[in-house]
Amino acid sequence: MVVGLREFAHRTGNGSGTPVLDESNGEELMRVQPSVAVALGNRSLESPGTLYITSRKLIWLSDVDMAKGYAVDFLSISLHAVSRDPEAYSSPCIYTQIEVEDDEDEEDESDTQSTGALDLSKIREMRLVPSDSTHLDTLFDVFCECAELNPEPIEQEEEGEHNWVFSADQMVVGGGAEEDGEWPISQSPTSVIGLSIGDEGGLAQPMLELQINDQRFDDAEEMVHESETKDH
Amino acid sequence: MLFFSYFKDLVGQEVTVELKNDLAIRGTLHSVDQYLNIKLENTRVVDQDKFPHMLSVRNCFIRGSVVRYVQLPPDGVDVDLLHDAARREARGA
Repeated sequence: MVVGLREFAHRTGNGSGTPVLDESNGEELMRVQPSVAVALGNRSLESPGTLYITSRKLIWLSDVDMAKGYAVDFLSISLHAVSRDPEAYSSPCIYTQIEVEDDEDEEDESDTQSTGALDLSKIREMRLVPSDSTHLDTLFDVFCECAELNPEPIEQEEEGEHNWVFSADQMVVGGGAEEDGEWPISQSPTSVIGLSIGDEGGLAQPMLELQINDQRFDDAEEMVHESETKDH
Repeated sequence: MLFFSYFKDLVGQEVTVELKNDLAIRGTLHSVDQYLNIKLENTRVVDQDKFPHMLSVRNCFIRGSVVRYVQLPPDGVDVDLLHDAARREARGA
């Protein structure tokens, strides 16, 4: 997964100039919006172009320069909004903020490298200006839909990382209703974290059962004495 | 799911969302989803120094994963109730 904005020039060769999608990964085209101009960061508007909204990313392709295009994954879009305030920007647009790769010691906040070339991966804001501003609300909604289609990927969590302990008597298995696996349960019999006493699920350990069923915990009256007159 | 339910109950209230990039946005909570993606209405930027061009936008969708804090109206929170509920949720009760 690529963080941030990047160049995109992968168009189909059939002359339609549409972008090539990663269909093997389930990427689908959600909406095509022609006549959209794009402004990256503080730069001026680039047009004419077409906006392609896929289930994974935003792609803007220039209508005149077949080699020019930009793409950003929805995973990298922190925020999007409808901007109509003329004081904020001259044209009504969809304003987006893009997450950039965290670089330490970045003193220079400009998005141009020392050679003057534009470093797309440092772009933090992008505006999309449709020539017809009545499309803005629909575009906003499609962006929302696509953002919802791209939640944070669930990583393989390390053992014990998310097992918050609040008190000494907390030994709880994550509730069965948890669908998204937030509470990883250790399968190792030597690990105590994540086990609960009396758990009827598959994690009851022989050691815990022994403690409960141990005869030493039985009431004294149940023990049979051979002689009732025996002195103690 | 606790905070999803909690935020659903807060819909309509004024909140301030602080993002991990330090931007703070104030607005009316319009909706929230299971990933804690947040939609705000009538938003305005709290501190305009970092993103002066954003100023006021009408509707805003904030990705849940970039939220650092959600500041709630002080009289809109029963801290003890939330505290207990969070502890119970963590215990899987």
